[in-house]
Amino acid sequence: MSEPVQFVSQKVDLDYKVVTSPVARRFAELMRAGRITGHKCPVCGRVYVPPKGFCPLDAVITDESNEVEVRDAGTLTSFTVITPIQYQGQEEKEEYVLANILLDGASGTVGQQRVEGIPHKDVRMGMRVKAVWGGDADEGSRGWGLTGAIKHWEPSGEPDEPREKYQDHVL
Amino acid sequence: MRDVAIVSFAQSTPGLTDVEETETQLLFPVINEALDGIGITRKDIGFTCSASCDYLAGAPFAFVQTLEATGAWPPISESHVEMDGAWALYEAWVRLQHGDVDVALAFSSGICSRADISEVLAIELDPYYLAPLWLDPLSLGRLQAEAVGQEPPTEQPKYTDAAAAVILAAGDRARELVGRPAWISGIDHRTDAHYPGVRDLSKSASARIAGEQAGVDKAPVDVAYVSAQYPHEALILMDALGLKHVFGLATNPLMVSGLIQIGTAADAVIKGDASRSVGHATAGPCLQQNLVAVMES
Amino acid sequence: MATFTLEFPYRRSLGPVVGGFFTGLRDGKVLASRTKDGRVLCPPLEYDPETGESVEPELIEVAAEGVVELATYIDAPMQKHPLPEPFSWALVKLDGADTSLLHAARGRVAKGDRVKIRWREERTGNITDIECFEAV
Repeated sequence: MSEPVQFVSQKVDLDYKVVTSPVARRFAELMRAGRITGHKCPVCGRVYVPPKGFCPLDAVITDESNEVEVRDAGTLTSFTVITPIQYQGQEEKEEYVLANILLDGASGTVGQQRVEGIPHKDVRMGMRVKAVWGGDADEGSRGWGLTGAIKHWEPSGEPDEPREKYQDHVL
Repeated sequence: MRDVAIVSFAQSTPGLTDVEETETQLLFPVINEALDGIGITRKDIGFTCSASCDYLAGAPFAFVQTLEATGAWPPISESHVEMDGAWALYEAWVRLQHGDVDVALAFSSGICSRADISEVLAIELDPYYLAPLWLDPLSLGRLQAEAVGQEPPTEQPKYTDAAAAVILAAGDRARELVGRPAWISGIDHRTDAHYPGVRDLSKSASARIAGEQAGVDKAPVDVAYVSAQYPHEALILMDALGLKHVFGLATNPLMVSGLIQIGTAADAVIKGDASRSVGHATAGPCLQQNLVAVMES
Repeated sequence: MATFTLEFPYRRSLGPVVGGFFTGLRDGKVLASRTKDGRVLCPPLEYDPETGESVEPELIEVAAEGVVELATYIDAPMQKHPLPEPFSWALVKLDGADTSLLHAARGRVAKGDRVKIRWREERTGNITDIECFEAV
């Protein structure tokens, strides 16, 4: 009782509605049908997966008329083996791999993709991967990620892509 | 000091709620309209400042995505304030004073309809003495109305979704871009102490000082747009700024309302409807922090 | 309609002024800070709001009761408000202080009313150690 008070605990919680934009809704609908799509910019030709509804470099708005499909396979350009810290709310217990993947047909990588079916020490940049579908697809993404429709990625068995081919997508 | 003017202003449709698009998508056509209005492109902008509040989106660095509406490649010179867009405008005005850049873009966005704003604002108060009490905007509004002897409001302000953009230009560049630039003859912002118990809530000392420093009373004002969300706030601001009539807010698009009021006041000069106008923005509990801009033809 | 909840579990350090005030509340007394020119601030601020100077290092005790300076009635409390039934927000100048403390007061109170602190039974060192004000 005589110790001075030096800290105060305060748990702040705020509730937010998840609102999915029409672009993200359409993307999720196609993901549930097993198709990965993006928007191709009419000016520079870059394909954004998932689609943003605009090209940030040319500042032009894109829509369904710019929709293109990309393969559910690609090149792993970089990765991390995550050791899950047991913070409040953490659900992961074992080490796992997250990677950036340059899908065939896309102009940039999709990040935070789970890679399985291979010992972690053998995961490498340039490895060719393919999607394993059958995951829990939610209504839509928040503009990043591929919804949950793809459970994870696994090696496709193809020969590794040479570094020059994915050099610009390593970050 | 360099002469800096507002040369263009655009905003999203007033009164939107429950927008489905992303904040970036909301901003895109607004920035396009501000640029198209004076026939320039993103490449002509020398400095960009944006404003928003992560607590509206419910994610850290939520505003970073809105930079995608600026065509930021090659990399641009930009800054951000976690404030109403009026403060982004102020920073852009300061930046233009340096003399090496002639055109700046200030924009802000806010989607209020995804959170309970009365709770979001309550936890933005003093974390030790006020936040645990969850003092919402209506409660604070009622207290200040009592202080000034006015009928206390009975409803939370109507928070809406919006985006707005303003383009500033200096000297001759402003004259090249628009026929009647809205020259910023004065701009200032001040803040009162945070804790309501040490303030006289019946007045807004910071609004008064900001108005004096911005030179509101140097000449007659044709029109004034203030960020009052309740009638008693308009009265307090009229008293502080020495104005007989002001336009307040019909709805409150948080993080954008101040920029909209200043942009609207500037537009009146640009369009020839006014020779001298005042725009005002506010932040914090009970008109704690105030920014005043005076525009002249 | 999908929702998500953003949670921040904060543990805030308090320093000698706010910490001293909360220690006092835990112990059932109200402390205040003093400015260099002798103004008594309650709740205590760390700096004089007029001059920006630090307050005097020693906190002093003020009364747990005082006068309502400003109040407004809330007839439909929000779920997170301090009291579940209709109450008043009140700015109370406790006897001995020169500034007011903002908190909930039970029922309807008005400027000029005398009120006193109703202490929470279990106190931890928090502004909520004051459960509310009550008319004297």
